[in-house]
Amino acid sequence: MEILIPLIIVGSIGAFLGLGLGIASKKLFVHVDPRIPMILDVLPNANCGACGYAGCSGFAKAVAEGKAAPNGCIPGGAKCAHAIADLLGVTASAEEPQMAVVHCKGGRKEAAERAIYNGIQDCNAATIIGNGSKICQNGCLGLGTCVRSCPFDAIFINDNGIAEVDPEKCTGCGKCVKSCPRKIISLIPKVHKIFLACSNRDRGAKVKKYCSVGCTACTLCVKATPSGAITMDNNLPVLDYSKEENFITAAYKCPSKCYTDLVKKRSKANIDTNCDGCGLCITVCPVPGAITGEKGKRHVVDKEKCIGCGNCLHICPTHAITLWGTGLQPKQARMA
Amino acid sequence: MNNIANIISISIGAVFINNFILSKFLGLCPFFGVSKKLSSATGMGMAVVFVMAIASSFTWVINRFILIPYDVAYLQTIIFILVIAALVQLVEMALQKYSPSLYEALGIYLPLITTNCAVLGVALINTGVNTFTGEPYTFFESLLNGVMSGVGFMLALLLMAGLREKLEFSNIPKGLEGLPIAFITAGLMALSFLGFAGLNFFSPVGG
Amino acid sequence: MLKEELKRGIITENPLLILVLGLCPSLATSTSVQNGFGMGMAVTFVLACSNVIISIVRKGIPGKVRIPCFIVVIATFVTMVQLLMKSYLPALDKQLGIFVPLIVVNCIILGRAEAYASKNNPLKSLIDGIVMGLGFTASLCILSIIREILGSNKLLGLNFFPGYDPMTVFILAPGGFFTIAAVMALVRYLGNRRKDTKA
Repeated sequence: MEILIPLIIVGSIGAFLGLGLGIASKKLFVHVDPRIPMILDVLPNANCGACGYAGCSGFAKAVAEGKAAPNGCIPGGAKCAHAIADLLGVTASAEEPQMAVVHCKGGRKEAAERAIYNGIQDCNAATIIGNGSKICQNGCLGLGTCVRSCPFDAIFINDNGIAEVDPEKCTGCGKCVKSCPRKIISLIPKVHKIFLACSNRDRGAKVKKYCSVGCTACTLCVKATPSGAITMDNNLPVLDYSKEENFITAAYKCPSKCYTDLVKKRSKANIDTNCDGCGLCITVCPVPGAITGEKGKRHVVDKEKCIGCGNCLHICPTHAITLWGTGLQPKQARMA
Repeated sequence: MNNIANIISISIGAVFINNFILSKFLGLCPFFGVSKKLSSATGMGMAVVFVMAIASSFTWVINRFILIPYDVAYLQTIIFILVIAALVQLVEMALQKYSPSLYEALGIYLPLITTNCAVLGVALINTGVNTFTGEPYTFFESLLNGVMSGVGFMLALLLMAGLREKLEFSNIPKGLEGLPIAFITAGLMALSFLGFAGLNFFSPVGG
Repeated sequence: MLKEELKRGIITENPLLILVLGLCPSLATSTSVQNGFGMGMAVTFVLACSNVIISIVRKGIPGKVRIPCFIVVIATFVTMVQLLMKSYLPALDKQLGIFVPLIVVNCIILGRAEAYASKNNPLKSLIDGIVMGLGFTASLCILSIIREILGSNKLLGLNFFPGYDPMTVFILAPGGFFTIAAVMALVRYLGNRRKDTKA
């Protein structure tokens, strides 16, 4: 008898709860679209929010409902877009991959400070206190707010104290762009490797006083780009990446070396035996002494001086010039 | 008048003097796991208050009308934990159906709360004796105790989350990063809450 | 093989200091070595027994209800421990108070059931339960020794330092937090040093 009572009590309460849960699971059944877990599987699951939805599960739901396009996941890229499109049975086009760049290279070596900052190591906090410790009011403060915002560990503070993006890891999600209080990070198409590493709005010699690599608005880069892809806006060049322009000449012509080229070794021009010695290539070459030769004789490119801008490829009437090692045609060389 | 004194004594006791986390050490695992961001701390806190309230009421009823009359008080552990697990499961299902937005916000914390010492702890405390009246807890008192203990839990959680968010930006020695500094912070908070120990609004019935 | 398992349970995968499971009872019951040791032994008993039973029935439990099943098994053994303690060790039972029934929601037991016992045979599960319990007991004892000496100037009930006025805060709530912070930081530091010298 003594064993029977607890047995009955535990047994009946257990059965009651089990029954109750069983009934509840039927009545409160929520239909979950079976495609949603499958979509979630192919997503990178970093919950970065670049798609505009609250996390990867939000995006998966929206795609299954047809509200979001399959190529909406930027970090997932083309592979992910096609996988989702296959799951849904539609065709998808991948968006052009982008990467973030920091428009500043004035670090400890180049830029002067007006004070020592000993506060909270956050760019927002430093901006609130008198707009930061650098004299330049637009430059990178190097306190790492963008580093903390990146879900892919693609941005870091380099040895010079400036934020730098790793092109291999960057997926173009745009979180760092939103996190920078000075708004000096932006997204450029991954295929372009040159950008202006300065955000300074001052002009003239006074910029040189506080930053050796600051843009003085000399407009030499604008003049060096006949395609018109660079325009001036409030003392700062603006690069139009939609134009067919590789910006190599502009980067070379800049006297303050404000441009950053992510390609460390560029392919150089090479003149083959088709050359008739007309000398047109020398007229468009931005580097004095890079191409030499007598009239009528085959010209020669100095591989050390050549910057690989490709201007000579288009002007050569006998198509004697190629970019050595790339096999690129002149039209493609414009965007190298 | 005695009733109001009783209510106040239970409430202040549960939230400050006998704070579940900072004095009684109940509910520590989620405390250190969820208190990194203020938003997740708020969600967890509200979920805990809700679960504690219904758990207190159901377990009190079962204890009073089934376990005690049949003299099987030793079954408290098993029955209580079964009831709590089933209740949390039910709440999760109901939330998913009737309030998907709330489910998205709180959903991941509910399974965590099932194995939370705090919920079972408050259920077991309610089977004991109210130190103010000297009598076993009544239904209303145990419900109040459950809700207020949850509020105390949430208070400690919110305070901790606020502090930890600020700690993110400080220079902490390498060995202390993460949990050890969180423990030290909790210890300092416990030290300050110890100041409430002498708080006595009304003297208990019977001197 | 047994030596490796012991090393795993006590040092490399110590449930309290490395896996950070089972915090609630640790801080509450490490006020004296007797309490800490008693709690540790109770947890070891429940862990070993429940691991064996769960491992025996692991094939027969459907996936969706496995957590409630584990909890029922664990709760049974905890009730056993409760009743045994009330009869044979009433003083210890009074000291440990509410934390004896709270062993049922100790994250270590449910965690090992989920991670180990449901996937391995009964003998391995038994050994795993014992070594994990021993690791938990060992870390509890370390905490208790520190807290008892500093907090009440006694060790196992015997007076320790002559003429030392104990810091009562160590046997109260804040002391528990400070002690575990220090021990965890020390363990981390030693672990990092080992990693550095190995690498």
